[in-house]
Amino acid sequence: MQVEFKGEAVMSQDCNDEWELSKENVQPLRQGRVMSTLQEALAQQETSIHTAVQLKKQEFESEIRFYSGDDPLDVWDRYIKWTEQTFPQGGKESNLAAILERAVKALNEQQRYYKDPRYLNLWLKFGNCCNEPLDLYSYLHSQEIGTTLALLYITWAEVLEARGSFKKADLIFQEGLQRKAEPLDKLQSHHRQFQTRVSRQTLLGLEESPDEKDTDLLGAAEPQRSSLADLKGRGKKKVRAPISRVGDALKAANQNRSFQTLTSQQLSNNPGFAVFDENSASGPEIPVLTPQPWTAPPAPRAKENELSAGPWNSGRRPRNSANSGIEVPYPLPSFTPYVEESAQQQVMTPCKIEPSINCVLSARKPEKEEDPLQRVQNHQQDTQEKKEVVMYCKDKVYAGVEEFSLEEIRAEIYRKKAKKKTEEEMQAIAQKKEEIQRKIEELEKKLKKKEDDKQQQLREQPTEITEALPPLGLQGFTFSSATEAGEKQPQLQSESQVFEDTQLHKPSCSEDTQRGNVFLDSEDEQEEQRDEASLGKEDVRLLPPPDPATFFAIFDESSTLANQNISCSADHTQKSARRPLAVRKPSDSLTAKESIPPEACDELNGIEPLTEDAIVTGSYKNKTLCANPEDTCDFVRAAHLASTPFHGVVAQRVPAPAFSQSALKEDCPESKNAPLHQETLVCEGAYNEALCVNKLSPIMEASLEDTRSSGGSVSSGSSLSSVTQVSTIKYLRIPEKLELAQSLHAEMVTDSGGIGENITGDDVTQFLWSAEQRKKLLDPLPESVTASPDFHLETGALPVMEVEKDVELGNETYCIKWKYWTNEEYKMFFAIPANFPQLDAKGFAIKVYSQPVPWDFYITLQLQERLNTEFDQSFSENCSCYLYQDGCAILHRDINRFTLGDVIRGCKSITEEVILLVVYNLLGVVEKLHKAEIVHGDLSPEVFFLGDRICDPFANDEMTRALKIVDFSHSLDLRLQSRVNLPNSFPISQTPHGKQLLVKSSLPYQVDLVGIADIVHLMLFGDHVQVYQENSIWKISQNVSKTVDSDFWSKLFGRILNADGKSTVPLLRELREEINDMFDSCFHERLCESLAALGETFLLENFL
Amino acid sequence: MAKQLGRDQQGITLRGSAEIVAEFFSYGINSILYQRGIYPPETFTRIQKYGLTLLVTTDPELKNYLNNVVEQMKEWLYKCIVQRLVVVISSIENNEVLERWQFDIECDKTAKGESAPREKSQKAIQDEIRSVIRQITATVTFLPLLETACAFDLLIYTDKDLAVPEKWEESGPQFIANSEEVRLRSFTTTIHKVNSMVAYKKDSFP
Repeated sequence: MQVEFKGEAVMSQDCNDEWELSKENVQPLRQGRVMSTLQEALAQQETSIHTAVQLKKQEFESEIRFYSGDDPLDVWDRYIKWTEQTFPQGGKESNLAAILERAVKALNEQQRYYKDPRYLNLWLKFGNCCNEPLDLYSYLHSQEIGTTLALLYITWAEVLEARGSFKKADLIFQEGLQRKAEPLDKLQSHHRQFQTRVSRQTLLGLEESPDEKDTDLLGAAEPQRSSLADLKGRGKKKVRAPISRVGDALKAANQNRSFQTLTSQQLSNNPGFAVFDENSASGPEIPVLTPQPWTAPPAPRAKENELSAGPWNSGRRPRNSANSGIEVPYPLPSFTPYVEESAQQQVMTPCKIEPSINCVLSARKPEKEEDPLQRVQNHQQDTQEKKEVVMYCKDKVYAGVEEFSLEEIRAEIYRKKAKKKTEEEMQAIAQKKEEIQRKIEELEKKLKKKEDDKQQQLREQPTEITEALPPLGLQGFTFSSATEAGEKQPQLQSESQVFEDTQLHKPSCSEDTQRGNVFLDSEDEQEEQRDEASLGKEDVRLLPPPDPATFFAIFDESSTLANQNISCSADHTQKSARRPLAVRKPSDSLTAKESIPPEACDELNGIEPLTEDAIVTGSYKNKTLCANPEDTCDFVRAAHLASTPFHGVVAQRVPAPAFSQSALKEDCPESKNAPLHQETLVCEGAYNEALCVNKLSPIMEASLEDTRSSGGSVSSGSSLSSVTQVSTIKYLRIPEKLELAQSLHAEMVTDSGGIGENITGDDVTQFLWSAEQRKKLLDPLPESVTASPDFHLETGALPVMEVEKDVELGNETYCIKWKYWTNEEYKMFFAIPANFPQLDAKGFAIKVYSQPVPWDFYITLQLQERLNTEFDQSFSENCSCYLYQDGCAILHRDINRFTLGDVIRGCKSITEEVILLVVYNLLGVVEKLHKAEIVHGDLSPEVFFLGDRICDPFANDEMTRALKIVDFSHSLDLRLQSRVNLPNSFPISQTPHGKQLLVKSSLPYQVDLVGIADIVHLMLFGDHVQVYQENSIWKISQNVSKTVDSDFWSKLFGRILNADGKSTVPLLRELREEINDMFDSCFHERLCESLAALGETFLLENFL
Repeated sequence: MAKQLGRDQQGITLRGSAEIVAEFFSYGINSILYQRGIYPPETFTRIQKYGLTLLVTTDPELKNYLNNVVEQMKEWLYKCIVQRLVVVISSIENNEVLERWQFDIECDKTAKGESAPREKSQKAIQDEIRSVIRQITATVTFLPLLETACAFDLLIYTDKDLAVPEKWEESGPQFIANSEEVRLRSFTTTIHKVNSMVAYKKDSFP
């Protein structure tokens, strides 16, 4: 029996004893302690709990920094309360004093909290950490902090009472009562109790020591044991230890005892004691408490374990003094301490403070000697007269007690964002779920109805069904297509509503998961195929009629919701699988070449720019003046600009979702024939392949071969693979999209580096005008291009174009009559409408580019946009662009057949007037181009078609419209390609004069000036320009003086050839205006004659 | 002490057990009243008991009151009809219950019929009682400060069929609305087992 009881005793001990064992280590709290926390804190010998405490602390610290609500005091309040509870032994480890100090500083001058009891509590707690709480109270009083709250007066009076200043304490109470501090009844009751205590003490004192009442009454009235009192001996002749006695022992003390009255500086001014008389308390002689302005800083508190700062070498302690302390024999106590019988069992109380927690080296506070209160006040003054501007988020770094690193702050911001994002996503998913649920229910209802209809239908047309259904099972359709097929019968009954619903349902639908799983999971697929087959059979047999629920039993909702990822990707799979169906539509085509998801570029906008500034300087809005290399987005954008053969910027022209959906609907009737399904299957296979390939290497190869092969194979069945590949990347890889884009950029950057190192002419040419480059620039195709009514996206390959052959562009057929020039990539033809066979001076110019990049069209549109009203007949005002899978044709209407080149070649000498007219126009055209920030890059007589001014005999007298430029094969859009500074990569720079005139550092505009010089020279002298340098001025070898207007020409050449570095637009305008000055009435007459002669001698003979 | 030790050998009888427990209540309540400052500390005096220095009131009225209660308790304990003694500490001003010391008593009613004393040394029982009283003293580590003047009440839970004696009245349990409860140690005389517990007002801690 005894054993049993003992067991019980042990048990109860187990659950309780921690607090009791460590009771000496627990500081009592005014509001009490939570037992569980206390036990935990005391039992925290295991480091795990210690870590938990640290984590919690960290949590508070970060909450302080990133609190977004409107009550920052709340966080501090909780933090402080938690600290009190969690560190029962207090001390350095809890850091409570530091926390209070920070809190007080952080919430300094927050007027709205001045009446908040929590705020007052904060201050009062802080007061306990101060040397002189009384100073703090009067400070609070003067600042009007908590002066409406009873607690301030109660606490204040308590402290005064404890120090024996009853009079002052009563004054404080009076002040509180006068102010009607809330809760008033509490204040009143405290006051009453105080009065009772005082009067009782006074009475006792009167009774028991009447002799002493004059001297020591107040001291005796409230004996206060001063802890750690000074015990040093006093007196010179006879050393006497000061006695500080309390309670009963006090009575025996003799007259000589000295009381350790602790008084503040302010209290020390207190005049001699007066016996407190309750009845005369309101008497006039009692001084009224006046709010005292803060005068002197409070005395520093002698903190333990702290050395005062001093010279290092003088701080050494003599050794013998250390020993002397040991030699003193301490007297044996006259009493025997009680030793419990059971005490032997427990050798010692376990150490509750883990030594590892006490990091001796950490958290040495600055300005140790200062009083916390003083620090706070200094801080206030500092903030008031602060002039420096902190350029980093100092408030965040030092907000709490611990210092945060910028990385921690950044991580916190990131986490917050991520959390928000996740929440949003979850919300979206939940919404979707609901929607889907609803739709499923709707559909179920409808399907049930359909099912009934179908059964009827089946009974009526059994043969048709047997035809339609067996292939479904045999070919192993995915479930969805089978479903569609299954629903087809009702649909054929002209009842298409259900089907439409299904379609609508799909793009956003989790139902697709099942299909997605089919792709991904072959087992499932087989299973479902089996299901499907059996379903089909059931349908055929009509026995038993298929349960409508069977369809939806497979759309397992739980499995759908179980894995959102699958649902997501499966959804996209669905789309990508469907794409091929749409491709079959003739009017739509996909440029399947780009391997880069267009989103990759757009994605940049979504990325949070990871700039140091944004996070670290926070609200300080430190402006960066240039692109920041630390900014990931800036970096990537920069990489774009410094581009290299970077694959895939031709846009995906077709807005995908709408397109696929509508196309699908229209294609649906088709889906009843089996071959199409077969193809769908092929595509799925291809898709899987693509997926595998993707997994191996997310970096798309950007070779020309790739482009061509996929381009060339569009018409064949296998092209589907490339098509799916595109969509695969586009939709399936979304989680990795960023990564993909980044790796591409990386690739691009390295490539550009390589090219920068070994520039050879060919390489650079390749680089500047490579299809990749332009594809990239025009990916996605600018809206100006796609939205243009003259832009036509064609399926299929570029039609073959040869002289004397007909070609169909758009809905028109043209007969090609003439070939201006041709090279590997570009061809320029002259054509006339095939149904108007007569040859006219005017016709169509067809520019063919063997790459599917509508560059010329783009430039033309840009010119139109940028020049606005200045866009005139000098450019192609009426052109259409036909973009094919593997090329691009641009049709320019209303083009004169002859070019400037024809004129130069055909005429031995061109009259001065014509030359001036041409040059005038030439300068004007180039000026406009440059104004629009476009460099033509390859100015030659061949690219200038003759304008109406020359060709039309009835043209008016104005001097414009003599030339028309339509070809921009080598043009640069400097707005798009701003960083290009490689003039020697232009064709013209390969010419002798180009090599001489163009240096590496030349501006791209320079290229066109050289072109102008060459054209002018050709017209004047019939040969290419030859230049030499004299005194670092470029001159032409030909003697200009032979020509008419030689002054002008020499000036023109001089300026054009030596214009390096200057802005070209004003130069060209100046020259043009000079020509304009030469135009006069007699000039016009001569011009008319010249043109007439030109028409007769040159144009007519070529007509034949 | 020596006298008590001499009696040890005789074992525990029902009457002896009731006396021990009643005595414990007397000292326990005194300790609580002193520790919690319900009465001024000057009105208490030290005595040696259970090997501890305990403080008991010198206030004659309070002494008288407590003696009455303890005598009553002794009787009920002997009859094994008492279940619980509760010391309720409440604010004088608004009668809010601030603390509740609860001593649950398990009576072994079979002891009524027994004639032979149970075997448990007085010393062992005293040790157990001592640890309970010590815990009462140690509760200052976690109990909230009683800021207002307080009064105390004694509630005794007895078996239902008991007629309410003179000077006693029926009362509610006087629970604390939002309380934190801490179990203290228990002791047993083999006939009576006393489980102690203190409940106090929970502050709005985090």
